[in-house]
Amino acid sequence: MIELQNIGKTYTRPTGETVRALDGVSLTIERGEFVAVVGASGSGKSTLMNLLGLLDRPTDGHLLFDDEDVADRTVNDLARLRNRKIGFVFQAFHLLPRTSALENVELPLIYSERESIRGRGEAALKAVNLGDRMNHTPAELSGGQQQRVAIARALVNDPDLLLADEPTGNLDAKAALEVMSIFHSLHESGRTIVLVTHDPALAKECGRVIRLEHGHVQSCIEEAS
Amino acid sequence: MKTSRLIAVAFRAMSRYKLRSAFMMLGSFLGIAALTLVVSIGQAAQVKMLRTMRQIIGDSSVLVIGGGGLGNASPRTDANRITIDDIDAAVKEIPEVETWDPRQDLVTSARRGDASTTVRVIGQSERSEKVWGRTVSRGEYFDAAAVNGSSRVALIGETAARKLFGNDDPIDAEIRIGSVPFRVIGVLEPFGVDLHGMDRDNEIVVPITTLMRRLTNVDSIAAARIVIRDAEQSDNVAREIRRVLRARQRNFSIATTLQARRIFTKIRRILMLYVPLAAAIILLIGGAVSATLMLASVSERVSEIGLRRAVGARPQDIRLQFLIETTVTTLCGGIGGIILGYAGARLVATRFQLGGVFSWSAVLLGVAASTIVGLIAGIMPAKRAAELQPIDALR
Repeated sequence: MIELQNIGKTYTRPTGETVRALDGVSLTIERGEFVAVVGASGSGKSTLMNLLGLLDRPTDGHLLFDDEDVADRTVNDLARLRNRKIGFVFQAFHLLPRTSALENVELPLIYSERESIRGRGEAALKAVNLGDRMNHTPAELSGGQQQRVAIARALVNDPDLLLADEPTGNLDAKAALEVMSIFHSLHESGRTIVLVTHDPALAKECGRVIRLEHGHVQSCIEEAS
Repeated sequence: MKTSRLIAVAFRAMSRYKLRSAFMMLGSFLGIAALTLVVSIGQAAQVKMLRTMRQIIGDSSVLVIGGGGLGNASPRTDANRITIDDIDAAVKEIPEVETWDPRQDLVTSARRGDASTTVRVIGQSERSEKVWGRTVSRGEYFDAAAVNGSSRVALIGETAARKLFGNDDPIDAEIRIGSVPFRVIGVLEPFGVDLHGMDRDNEIVVPITTLMRRLTNVDSIAAARIVIRDAEQSDNVAREIRRVLRARQRNFSIATTLQARRIFTKIRRILMLYVPLAAAIILLIGGAVSATLMLASVSERVSEIGLRRAVGARPQDIRLQFLIETTVTTLCGGIGGIILGYAGARLVATRFQLGGVFSWSAVLLGVAASTIVGLIAGIMPAKRAAELQPIDALR
C-alpha cells in the first residue's frame, strides 16, 4: 500500500542549521498490516509519520502511495488523498473545543466529495460506543472518550490507512486498553494501521515493529502473534 | 467540498466565539446604521421637498411674486405692485405659457352662526384647480363665470370646515368671511402641513375678483403662477416675464423650479457627502477591528487549521472558510445596522412627517457595504491561515 524507497528528509531550522531527520529509509507497508513504529524521541518517528500521512514530502527518495509517486501530486491532490484514504489519530486528540462530538466526527466530511454525508457521523460514533455522547463537547468527555471521538473522526470517511501517533500517550491504563482494543478490532476487520509508540508492550501487540534510530531503520521485526 | 458546508462552518464558528463576533459586528453595525439612516431620510426628504416644491412652484412653472427687493422701501410701492393685467400682458407675448393663475390672500376671521375661526382666505381664478394641482374632494370648483361675476362662493379646507361646521355638511351652507356672506360649494382636498409648518387645510379659497372687490379692496395680486409647456424653458420664460414687468416698472421677484431644484441639490449633495463619509470612516475602523480580531483568531486556531488540513482541507478551503467567516460576521452586523438605521429613520420620519422612508437602495447599499468590508477585512487573516503548513500547525 505504501512503499518508501531510500527516503531522506532534511529540515532547516529557523536558526539556519539543517537537521537530517530521516536518511535512507526503505520500507513497505502492506494492506491489512498492523505496524508499530518505535524509537526514542528525535529518532525520526514523527517525520516518518508526517510522510506516511502525506502531510509532508520527502527531500529525497520516492514515496509510493497505492503505487503512485506522491512527488507527482499537487498539494490539492494530497489533500484529497488524505481525506479519502487516511485517518489520523493524535496523542493530543486535536478535537475542536466547544464543538459537539458529532460535529467533530463530521469534520472530514465537510471536505469530502460525497454527495450525502447524512448519518455517517452517527454511525462512526456508534462504532466506538459513543452513540449516547453525540452532543457532548470535548470538555464534557473523559480523555478516553475524547480519543474515541478522534478515532470515529478518523474512520468517518472509511479510509484505507489509519495513522495513530502515540494515541494512548495522554490516557490512563484503562482508557489506553479500550483504545488498543478498538485498534485490534479494526485490524481484524481488515484495516491497515500504523501505530507510533514508545511503549514496547503496545508495540509487541502489533504484527510488525519498525525501530527507528537517528533517522535510520534499525530493525524490522515480525512479531509472532 | 461544498461551499454550503463551509458557510455552515462559518455560522458555527460565529456562535462558538460570541464575544469576538460581537466586536467584529459592532463596526459594520454602527456604520451601516448611520448609512441606512442617512440614505432613507435623504430619499424621503428629497421626495417631500420635491413634492412641496411642486405644490408651491410646480414642475414646469414660474412663480412671480409681487413686491420684494428694495422696492418695498420705495414710497411709490403701492403703484408698483403687479396686477392681473401685467401678467396678462406678459404671457400674451410668450407662446411657451400654457396657463396661469393669480393669487391674493389675507388672514381674517370666518364665521358660521356662533362658530368663528381665523383662516387664510385665498383668492384664485378658476384655473387654479389645474395650475396648483389642488381640487375639491366634495362639491365642485367654481367656474370662469363665478370669477367674472365676482360670485360669493367659497371652497373650504378640512380644518376650517371642522372648526366651523363640526360634523355637519358644509356644502351649500352659508359662512361669513369678515362681514361678507359666502356660499360653500366645495371642500378642498386635504393637503396637510407645508414646509413652513402652516396648516394648508385651514384655508378658504374664493374667486380672486370677489376677494379683491369685497374683502381686500386692492387691484394688485400677491403672486402668479405661470405654467409652461416645457420645464427646460423655465429660465427663458422667466427672462421674458422679467423684461415685460420691468418695462411696466413693477416690483417683483421670480422663482422657478429649476432654481429651487438647484439649491436643493446643493444642500442634498453636502448631506449626501458628509454623512456617508462619516459612515465610511466608521466602516473603515470596523473593518480594521474585524481584520485584527480575525488575525488573532487565526493564530489562536492554528491547531484547528492544521487538523482541517490533515483531514483533507485544501489551502483554498481554509482561505474560503476564514473569508466567509469574516464576511458572514460583518454582514450580520450590517443587517442589524440596516434594521437599526431603518428604525431611526422611521422615528425621524414620524417626527417630521416625511412619509415612507423604506428604501431598497438603502438595504442594498447596507448589504453590499458590510459584505465588502468583511471581504476586505478577511483577506489578510484568510491568507495567513491558508499559508499555514499542516505539520507546523499540528505540533
